[in-house]
Amino acid sequence: MKKILSLSVLAIAFILLTSCSDDENPQSGSIEIEFDNVVGEDDLTLNTTDEVYTNAAGETFKVTMLKYYISNIILTREDGTTYQDEVTADGSKGYYLVDEANTASQLITLNNVPAGSYTSMTFTIGVDANRVTEGAQTGALDVANDMFWSWNSGYIFLKFEGISAASTEENKAVMYHVGGYKTIDTNPSSANNVKTKTVTFTAAKVASDKTPEVHMIVDVLKIFASPNQISFAAVPVQMSPKENIPVVENYLNTFIADHVHN
Amino acid sequence: MCITNAAKITGIPAGLLIFIALAPVLWGCSDADATADTSYTMEQPANFPKATYTFENNPVTKEGFELGRMLFYDTRLSGDSTISCSTCHIQQAAFADPAHRVNHGVANRLGTRNTPALTNVAFQSSFFWDGGSNHLDFVPVNALTSHVEMDNTMEEVVRRLRDIPEYQKRFKNAFNKEEIDSQQLLHALSQFMVMFVSANAKYDKVIRGEGEQFSAEELAGYDLFIAKCSSCHATDLFTDGSYRNNGLDTDFKKDSGRSRITELPDDLGKFKVPSLRNVTLTPPYMHDGRFQTLEQVLSHYASQVKNTPTVDPALRSGDSLGIPITDDERVKIIAFIKTLTDHEFGKDKRFADPF
Repeated sequence: MKKILSLSVLAIAFILLTSCSDDENPQSGSIEIEFDNVVGEDDLTLNTTDEVYTNAAGETFKVTMLKYYISNIILTREDGTTYQDEVTADGSKGYYLVDEANTASQLITLNNVPAGSYTSMTFTIGVDANRVTEGAQTGALDVANDMFWSWNSGYIFLKFEGISAASTEENKAVMYHVGGYKTIDTNPSSANNVKTKTVTFTAAKVASDKTPEVHMIVDVLKIFASPNQISFAAVPVQMSPKENIPVVENYLNTFIADHVHN
Repeated sequence: MCITNAAKITGIPAGLLIFIALAPVLWGCSDADATADTSYTMEQPANFPKATYTFENNPVTKEGFELGRMLFYDTRLSGDSTISCSTCHIQQAAFADPAHRVNHGVANRLGTRNTPALTNVAFQSSFFWDGGSNHLDFVPVNALTSHVEMDNTMEEVVRRLRDIPEYQKRFKNAFNKEEIDSQQLLHALSQFMVMFVSANAKYDKVIRGEGEQFSAEELAGYDLFIAKCSSCHATDLFTDGSYRNNGLDTDFKKDSGRSRITELPDDLGKFKVPSLRNVTLTPPYMHDGRFQTLEQVLSHYASQVKNTPTVDPALRSGDSLGIPITDDERVKIIAFIKTLTDHEFGKDKRFADPF
């Protein structure tokens, strides 16, 4: 509690010291963040007839599902001041499920963002532990969204499913369900895969009459390529938080801010 | 419910409490008791550890509780609309299932684990035999979606509820949200289940000094229980909530237990220590329901504990395994365990089938 209090004091001091311009100029606007899922040079298309994509291990595949959570978004202005997207305890605000099968979900709009010139964004890929320990959630975190493990409670942060001739599974299935929010000191098998990522971009200028768009590119190939090359023949299905650490290391490199439309 | 020094745990604003208290008067309910209605307040028994449920996020209300009850008993929640939560969690059996060794679901599918009793769930911090869930709200998701249990999807359950006018009305009254979602469904089920407080067994009345006394045999059994059983079946919940390998098997190929969750070899064959409250009502016993009687259970601890690397240290003394229990001691311990049966709980009309 002391820590929270002192953090609060710091935060208040920070606001007092740095945000005077906002108080004098209460203008605000919106910003859009588009998540554009691609496969190398190509736009991602779900459920292609053939296995039109080839991973770094040289295995052909097609994609049937790609979904992931983006949350706790913080935007940073040129002068270092920040705007934090509101996160509510019931999950109704601040959590976004980007689903390749749902075009609307790929565009996150933040409203009431203070006017200014923003040059970087920090966000969590996944869902923090509180959302599990606080009980049933709503909105993007509604368990009906099928991004939740019921037998071992916890959110799935990223769900990739596809089909690959290289897979040894029934129907040549490939499934990577990545999650894991627990850190247990006494358990070396526990994995906390709640990771934040910061991307930088040329100034996105928010004003009451201007809604810039940050265009994010998420390359599916990179999820299985670098720094850890992953073979669908070797591991067609992986759901263990610990065993998926290489995938997490990869997908942290996958989220890139490509350009900004002002 | 006559629990002295009960601490109310509701998180309901005072104004709402007054409103709830007045509700019978306002709605002309036949309830003759004009004093504050505590039927929908989870009361903390004086001899229990503190409740763990997050009441601040989901305070119990009459509307939410009654909605939860209806959902709990509604077969439409299962894929083929044949079974409900109450099919396997039977009130008269402390919400366990004495008729089946392991969980059984739609189309007579069988699972691998014995149905646990749902008593005193507001005081538990982990759920399932392997502790896979750490919040009560998420427990029903497993039952609803398991292929061998209710075999539905959360999306489909919510879709069905949205189509039923009775539920549209009840969800609106309970949560006042635009549209039914799984959060409201899970909150309603939790509001019903957290009220399953079983704390009025003979044991409780003895311990709280409410006019009951142990017989000589029960008292002897109590002393033996404290000496031989209470290191695991601890506190007045009669479990310490830990995971232990109690020496049932020589290998764990059928069910790795806690290790399935932690992925730790050290947790192979470990299962959650179950509460012994109402245990006379909840056979069969063990995670796979292999024993039908308490005599068999105690005989296991006395002479059948199997040696594996993860067997619990409490069951090992030098080269010998198990807990020394004579036939006479077994009789006395069982006499004591019978005092943990709460005969009021199974008859509590609040928890009965509303259909």
